[in-house]
Amino acid sequence: MFDPYYRQPMTQPEGSGRRPVEVRGLVKRYGRVNAVDRVDLTVESGDVYGFLGPNGAGKTTTLRMLLGLIHRDDGSIRVFGRDPAADPVTALAGVAGFIEEPRLYPYLSGRANLELLAALDLGGAGRKEIDEILELVELGDRAGDKVGEYSQGMRQRLGLASCLIRRPRLLLLDEPANGVDPAGIRFLRALLRRLAGEGMTILLSSHLLAEVQEVCNRVAVIDHGRIVHEGALADLETGGSYRLQATDIARAVDALEQLDAVAGLRRELDELTFTLGGDEDTVELTRALADTGVGIRALVREQTTLEDLFFRLTESDADLREAEAAIA
Amino acid sequence: MSSEAYRAGGLAATRTGSLRDSLAAVGGSYYWELRKLVAQKRSWIGLAAAAIVELVFLISIEISKVTPNDGPYADPMGQGLRHSGLALTPVVLKEIAYFGPAIIAALVAGDIVANEDGGGTLKTILVRSVRRGEILAAKALALFTYVIVALVVFAVTGIVAGTIAWGFHPLANISGTRISAALALALTFAAIAVYAVPTIAIASFGLFLSVVTRQSVAAVVGTIFYALALEGLAALPAIKGARPYILVTQLHAWHGPFQTPTNWTIIGHAIWISVLFAAPPLIVAWIVFRRRDVAS
Repeated sequence: MFDPYYRQPMTQPEGSGRRPVEVRGLVKRYGRVNAVDRVDLTVESGDVYGFLGPNGAGKTTTLRMLLGLIHRDDGSIRVFGRDPAADPVTALAGVAGFIEEPRLYPYLSGRANLELLAALDLGGAGRKEIDEILELVELGDRAGDKVGEYSQGMRQRLGLASCLIRRPRLLLLDEPANGVDPAGIRFLRALLRRLAGEGMTILLSSHLLAEVQEVCNRVAVIDHGRIVHEGALADLETGGSYRLQATDIARAVDALEQLDAVAGLRRELDELTFTLGGDEDTVELTRALADTGVGIRALVREQTTLEDLFFRLTESDADLREAEAAIA
Repeated sequence: MSSEAYRAGGLAATRTGSLRDSLAAVGGSYYWELRKLVAQKRSWIGLAAAAIVELVFLISIEISKVTPNDGPYADPMGQGLRHSGLALTPVVLKEIAYFGPAIIAALVAGDIVANEDGGGTLKTILVRSVRRGEILAAKALALFTYVIVALVVFAVTGIVAGTIAWGFHPLANISGTRISAALALALTFAAIAVYAVPTIAIASFGLFLSVVTRQSVAAVVGTIFYALALEGLAALPAIKGARPYILVTQLHAWHGPFQTPTNWTIIGHAIWISVLFAAPPLIVAWIVFRRRDVAS
């Protein structure tokens, strides 16, 4: 039976009191193009942080710099207070991840790949731990097979295992669900929730917005190298739009117009749409309607989804027209 | 799972930065570089080629109608062919000295970094706890080990096949002095050791190309071309005086152990010239590998 790794007391290394990720003014240029343009990111301990953006927006380049694989042109990066460009080995203590997709040796078995990487961790996981992590990612029965014979989903899971054998406190994952079937995505989501629940900080780049919305507590959206949104996902769920159906629409309009919290009030046939500052304002609204004798048939909050936000931030009107034309 | 099994974030904290710590990192990486070589077909193809060349040569002598003092017999040690199996390896070594081991070394040297770069596994290993310089050192050591193993396979195949065909008998060395079979056996391995030195220098250039070009094919072909270009350079009459200082000339220093008395001068000369040729590409490769972006 697998005994969860992540409930064990952690030996806190130097720098453990610092933020897992602190990026300021990060710039990476390729010729005249700023692939990453003055990016600021802060990932707090315990965050499951979604890093979103269209293809070529700068996500992977940012993650590469975080892992010390490429050099930055300007700005600063601190991973647990240390600069990965100055000394990647020390800065990446307790950090694991993969970029784009996990790349492992196809001519070695899954187990041998993990043993190799554990050896490169210098004092990393032993055989027993490797076997347990292979079971965790549901590859125990295929551990002896060569990775070249694995499906894409199995390679993704082995990639996750290669991160977990490093016993990370910070996990950086770039598109971990790439090429994974629905069952694999469900498995991944459950695993990430479990790891997060056990205190691991996760920085997750993904195109699967619904998945990000389910597992992340904070998100940043990057477009053309710049951060265009950064905040808690909970913020999306407050201050949204509302629809109201009432027994007397005209009197309801009169009542709502008297409330400071209501904005953007519009009548559409037999219902009203408007925005409210927060959940507390709905209490004031229902009292006001009751005081004027208007019955509420329905009061529905139209929640802003991550997808709504993503496309609003990353697609121009021209993009939308182009997409609509393509569908038509 | 025991509580000590999980020490989150404590991994790199175990690095002390001392020489001993670094050597341990190189040692661990070296072991896995060897495991990777063992697991790859091309490594075995190279070793098989090293063995087959001896067998092909032996069979061709057996079925040929070459008379003494023709072809390989013209070599002083060639007189021992068909009389002692121990003559086979030195004679074949003389015939293939310029290109054979260079091809085998290039096959692995050109691929050892570029293949990982192209396959994306480089970025996998570079985010662990071993420093880039240590990884390159381990790769270089594994490469040199492979070159030595290939030469040993070459020698052992020649000795075994030659002995089966012609027996384990005394023979005349390059100076014409008759030496015992046991001494000839020991000197064969000494000659292989001397021959390995310039071959490793060629492999070092292959490693450099593998790091700089990031393309396996370019690095493999480039290494073979490098060896051939040096050979062409050594053949130019205009630079006859410089010939002793060209790397490929050192591929004949293996004659030293088979001379009476042992020619330590050409052995020592071969060693320092080989070091001079090996050091710059290794240093440049180390600098480039430590600094460069790994984006694939």
